[in-house]
Amino acid sequence: MCGIIGYVGFRNARNIIIEGLKRLEYRGYDSAGIGIIEGNLHIYKNVGEIENLEKSIPQIDGRVGIGHTRWATHGKVSIENAHPHTDCNKKFAIVHNGIIENFKSLKEMLERKGHTFSSETDSEVIVHLIEEKYKGSLEEAVKKAIKELKGSYAIIAISQLEPDKIVGARNESPLVIGVGEKENFIASDIPAFLKYTNRIKYLNDGEICVIKNDGIKIMDLNGKEIEREENLIKWQAEQAEKAGYPHFMLKEIYEQPHSIMETMRGRISEIEPWINLEIDFDGMDEVALVACGTSYYAAMAGKYMIEELAGVPVDIELSSEYRYFGKKRRTVLAITQSGETADTIGALKEAKMYGCKTIVVTNVIGSSATRFADHVLLTRAGPEIGVAATKTFTAQLLTLMLFSLYLGMKNGKLHANEIKNYVAELKRLPSIVEEVLERENEIKEIAKIIHDKNTVFFIGRGINYPIALEGALKLKEISYIHAEGFAAGELKHGPFALLSEETPVIALASKDRVYEKVMGNIGEIKARNSPVIAIAEEGDEDITNFADHVIYYPKLSFPLFSIPIAVILQLLAYHTASLRNCPIDKPRNLAKSVTVE
Amino acid sequence: MEAIVLAAGEGRRLRPFTHYMPKVMIPVGNKPILEYVIDALKENGIRRIIIVAGYRKESIMGHFGDGIKWDVEIVYAFQEKQIGTGHAFLQAKKFVTDDEMVVLSGDNIIDAKGLAALIENDAPSLLICESKIPSKYGVVELENGSVTSLKEKPTFAESNLISTGIYKFKKDIFDIVENFVENGKNRITDALQVFIKEKKLKGIKLQGTWRDIVYPWDILDVNAEVLYELPLSVAGTIEKNVTIRGNVVIGEDTIIHSGSYIEGPVIIGKGCEIGPNTCIFPSTSIGNNVTIHPFSCIRNSVVMDNSTIGSYSLLSNSVVGKGCEIASRFSAIEGETKVEVENEIHEIKAGSFIGNDCKIGANVIVEAGKIIGGKCTISSNKVVNRDVPDGSMVI
Repeated sequence: MCGIIGYVGFRNARNIIIEGLKRLEYRGYDSAGIGIIEGNLHIYKNVGEIENLEKSIPQIDGRVGIGHTRWATHGKVSIENAHPHTDCNKKFAIVHNGIIENFKSLKEMLERKGHTFSSETDSEVIVHLIEEKYKGSLEEAVKKAIKELKGSYAIIAISQLEPDKIVGARNESPLVIGVGEKENFIASDIPAFLKYTNRIKYLNDGEICVIKNDGIKIMDLNGKEIEREENLIKWQAEQAEKAGYPHFMLKEIYEQPHSIMETMRGRISEIEPWINLEIDFDGMDEVALVACGTSYYAAMAGKYMIEELAGVPVDIELSSEYRYFGKKRRTVLAITQSGETADTIGALKEAKMYGCKTIVVTNVIGSSATRFADHVLLTRAGPEIGVAATKTFTAQLLTLMLFSLYLGMKNGKLHANEIKNYVAELKRLPSIVEEVLERENEIKEIAKIIHDKNTVFFIGRGINYPIALEGALKLKEISYIHAEGFAAGELKHGPFALLSEETPVIALASKDRVYEKVMGNIGEIKARNSPVIAIAEEGDEDITNFADHVIYYPKLSFPLFSIPIAVILQLLAYHTASLRNCPIDKPRNLAKSVTVE
Repeated sequence: MEAIVLAAGEGRRLRPFTHYMPKVMIPVGNKPILEYVIDALKENGIRRIIIVAGYRKESIMGHFGDGIKWDVEIVYAFQEKQIGTGHAFLQAKKFVTDDEMVVLSGDNIIDAKGLAALIENDAPSLLICESKIPSKYGVVELENGSVTSLKEKPTFAESNLISTGIYKFKKDIFDIVENFVENGKNRITDALQVFIKEKKLKGIKLQGTWRDIVYPWDILDVNAEVLYELPLSVAGTIEKNVTIRGNVVIGEDTIIHSGSYIEGPVIIGKGCEIGPNTCIFPSTSIGNNVTIHPFSCIRNSVVMDNSTIGSYSLLSNSVVGKGCEIASRFSAIEGETKVEVENEIHEIKAGSFIGNDCKIGANVIVEAGKIIGGKCTISSNKVVNRDVPDGSMVI
């Protein structure tokens, strides 16, 4: 998975593209490159972060260019394998995101015709195909080339033979057009150009576009022109900046009081009371939740919520498994932050084929998943740049809470007074998360305890079990400490063997009906001399008899308490990683959204 | 020309509202005070703004970012310890690119035209205005348009002219201030004495408004001031039989239930629920995600984000911080009273001032001018007749 951007206009293309690539670094960052037309085609590439690339490029003045930040799928990390790729005569350059499945046969065919390849990538076949098909029109050549491609792609092409235009094409990989005045943009994601314009046009699969500084033309593969409406993006460009925080992750953790308010806004009423998600209620007597990664943990939490609040049986499945083995429940709810997760989209397509009612919970309007699902529940967390999911995870939890309450209200499991009490508590959530954030210094102290350990365990029961899994994932992905989450009752069935004085255990001990059980588990752990850090409800004095350290969160009922607990675990992971000097926003080997299967 | 905005201070006299945000981020008319300063600068064509932040700087940066939303360029300088305006000002030096600059503090409201007169004049100059209580400020004496004396908070004021703390300078000012700061004199006004001696500092009289916020009750004055020019703009859901008069702004996803009466100037944020049968009178600002239950009455008050006010409550001339939960039949009694803040006694006419995240039970009465700190819990049926420190329980 990679990030791509193209620019045509009146500004210095080099600077715009470098800036855009920095915003796209979250999509992958093992190498990067840009191509600029200034008379001839100039290509610059480098390995490592965008900053390495920036330092190695001279101040060049072209007004048309493309850029790419790569996350290796085919071929090792090297300057040769970095994009843009050029044809044999260096007249054309392309950047590509996706996977060309038939590149081997295409490469053999092109080599037989005399093309020489300089990289190991699948992407390079595209530019040689364009060279092969070129008869005086770049868009015609791109159109003919992509007809031969199998797989997923977002492509941007330029040529010094037609220096005033860029041509884009997409199939199953994201690509959006940014509409400006006397300038236009195209990129894998909106933050790449959001500083310059918030007017966008989406490109659909199987469409190609020609972009000049004074116009945008979108066509289908037969060359028929398509009218596409413009969308206004309400994100502010500033939201894509760090706003003075040392890392995007911390900034995004601190945005949660606001994002939580946005997730709920217009969907709840305390006075009347109601919850409204504008989804029709048919077929909601059984639900399958499908997701990957952090979203899967949200799904696991969702099972506890839906079963408890709405009394509806729930299956949870990993998208990659569901697609091939899952049972097709009448309602299938998929969770994907980016809306581009290939496995989850595959599962959605599968469910749709079986006639299931499909709902997608996602953060990105207009993403591929929103176009496949029958209903869309936007989490409204705003763009998330840090690779570690933070505000989008709490927004997913909250969206699932609203969904469960909505279901419970619709099917009569919850009566009006219960809804009123839940809504009153929901409305307090932004303040409660703010209170938790004010305890950052306490959490920093706990981070000092765990930052030099090799292994940390997280335990919880009920909804706190998936929250413990997510806490462990957060810690391992950014601090590189080996961390594992367990259902508290499972510890004694094996993992006990790993406990020692050097393995701190983070115990999530909410005052719910399994509180006593969790206390028992903490006692068992203490008997093995492992340090216990409990996360507990304010006012819980008993816990100090069991745990070595306690971080408190304000009193809340099930399932709302999962949100402040998740926030505490985010801060804990952040400060632990910070003490270990880890590259928090860009952990090694990880990319933000995974668009390969 | 550039602007340097001093926004590092905490504003101790504005506690409890400055516990979790710097003074410049206190909302009036549902916008932080600093935003009005930025608007006024932009209106005068100043597009590069250097903000000197310090106390709780994240909240400023989180809100304004790089300024693109306001079509200005914002850069941040930092003052780690708040030891004086001169020291704060020096932190901006390395970001200054133009020869001339406007320097102002982020915690006051100034109208754009007033600023224009200063900008047109030659540097160095100082914007001054008349005051009824000059000894609270830096008192200025003028002779032929030049400042001859500037004394900070004198016991006896020799004139009714005061400094607004808004200046126009040339770059050479940095060397002078640097000299003074090195000698332990950390205020800009210390350095200005050099110009005053040589009669070089011009005093420009302000036409139009200038207000600063020093004490909690100033929030109400400044709020009323900024609401004066409110447009009419109603979003959200307005049920039948709601009366809306005057200039009222209602945000998206807000519901005003039947029988409510809203008389502008009033601003209500996004995602609020008001009513049924609730009255909101001038000049009131209600933040985002606020719930005001049936039969309540709010007048000349500020209610910040995420707060709830129960049924049959009365709030008059009062400020309620973020995230408060107030149960039914709450009364903030309004009246004339004496208030002590940081060992100074003030005679004011006001209701009550309630810090962030307070939980107040039913039937609570707060007497005039009382200040309830942040995170207090007050149980039902209590009469609060003195100030309540942060984090207290009244039971």
